Amino acid sequence: MLQRSTQRDARGALVAALLTILGVALLPAGSYLVYALVWLAVATAGAASGYAPLTLARRGLIALPFTLAALPLIFMRGDELIWSGALGPAQLSISGVGLRVFLTAAMKSWISVQVGTILVRRYPIESIVGSLRALKLPDAIATGAGLTVRYVELLRGEASRMLRARSARSASPVGETRERIGGTFSWRAKVTGNLAGALFLRAYARAGRVEEAATARGASGSLSLGSLIQPDARLFIKVALAIGAFVAITAAGALLPRG
Amino acid sequence: MRPLLHIPDGFLAPQVALALWVATAVVIGIALRRIGQRGPAAASQTILMGLSGAFIFAAQMFNFPVAAGTSGHLLGGVLAGFLLGPWAGSVVMATVIGIQALLFQDGGLLALGANIFNMGVIGTLGGTLVARGIAATLGSARRATLLGVGVAAWLSVMAAAGFTTLQLGLSGTTDISIGLPAMLGTHALIGLGEALISVSAISFIAVSAPEIFAKSAPAAPTSPRRRVAAGLIITAATVSLASLFASTSPDGLEKVATDLGFIDTIQAAPFELFADYSIPGFSGAAGTALAGVIGILVVLLVIVLLNRLASARKSS
Repeated sequence: MLQRSTQRDARGALVAALLTILGVALLPAGSYLVYALVWLAVATAGAASGYAPLTLARRGLIALPFTLAALPLIFMRGDELIWSGALGPAQLSISGVGLRVFLTAAMKSWISVQVGTILVRRYPIESIVGSLRALKLPDAIATGAGLTVRYVELLRGEASRMLRARSARSASPVGETRERIGGTFSWRAKVTGNLAGALFLRAYARAGRVEEAATARGASGSLSLGSLIQPDARLFIKVALAIGAFVAITAAGALLPRG
Repeated sequence: MRPLLHIPDGFLAPQVALALWVATAVVIGIALRRIGQRGPAAASQTILMGLSGAFIFAAQMFNFPVAAGTSGHLLGGVLAGFLLGPWAGSVVMATVIGIQALLFQDGGLLALGANIFNMGVIGTLGGTLVARGIAATLGSARRATLLGVGVAAWLSVMAAAGFTTLQLGLSGTTDISIGLPAMLGTHALIGLGEALISVSAISFIAVSAPEIFAKSAPAAPTSPRRRVAAGLIITAATVSLASLFASTSPDGLEKVATDLGFIDTIQAAPFELFADYSIPGFSGAAGTALAGVIGILVVLLVIVLLNRLASARKSS
């Protein structure tokens, strides 16, 4: 059985993170005051985990590109117009409802990303996989996830070396007459595909070696990779607190004023 | 350029997110059951799946410049599905997408069901079945297999982008009429990179490790009836997707006629079934897509009838 000493019980934290994210998702649109309060609570939890609030807030911006999907709502919805006018040749109008939907989605994703960030900061991924297995995640997925986490750095190292070799072989003279590195679009795609194919063959060979090693050690059936080794004695208290937080967020969303 | 397929939390309505969790759980449950039915081979399959998950993570580092400031990189759904089988591939992608959400916050936890559904179920399971369908339809030669992988890889990215937009639209966080063309337009190029890399990777494996390729490639060609059915479904899917890009602007001749002022001399056809590719009761892209599907069926019917006529003449 392959285990790491860093494995801790993350079940309580997982439940808390999921319930917090669900609570935030269930908040009505425009509950800006509640978003601020929830963020304060999340930032406090982050500070307790060693994350400075501003660093955590910046980390939350990782989902920012996705807000592009909601951006057109600001200009396309015709209800509750708060501004209308010409911007150069274009006629634009800003909808209050569209702006509210956009800000709501952006705030919810920003807070949720920070919740996930704190979870991973407090618990290594091996602990989370082990805790998910303890929460009845199917064996094939838990073992697969455990192996993926265990070998991802090794294969990323292989990929890095392949990319370095590709760069070394694709050098071109620098100057005014600099030519494009590599050949045509399809040539570059082909080379990249060849690298991916070669990497798969290495992963395939590695899988064979892992299986041989496991068989040699007497393993049969499941590898039980990613099992939990330190069950948390205060699990029920943590889950109860998480449920309490969920209820508080939902109640605040229903009771506090909205914009 | 980076695909916008990992939906963060906050963008999906909770009921949409939970419904997609249920749909994903059902499909992944079936996949796990199918893998479990392999008996002792399931354990080694699990190990290969775990390493393949790490491979997908690492392979996503491979990118290549497409145009100024943009680069293509692998998502890997069809590649994993083709090499491991559609069920195992979808479980691998589900695992990868889950780890991406947990470790890198690339996609939300509540939205994880939707992300797995779009990329792992539709993109990987659906994409691999399309790849195999095309290969079986065209005769399972290596070239047919590669063509199938290429088309399926492109379609998998497009379908995932389309489903993502539809879910956002259902949740009220995007305007589908703007979001869908924008997402599909962007991902058409990303899908092209995905298709080229997937085809090249499979081609490389076919040459370097023919035994792995032979295991992955679909079995003997299916019956002509199933081939026709598979071809029909794939064509209908392609036409439906392409119809979303249909322009409402006049075609070249109409534009010239309008500019030169003789558009009014146009005479209506003696009868009109689906004027301007529209079906009564269906508006917009849905009507165009339905008109396209009906068009395919009519062409197929004509071909079948002509084929029968030719066969009858030959035998007589």
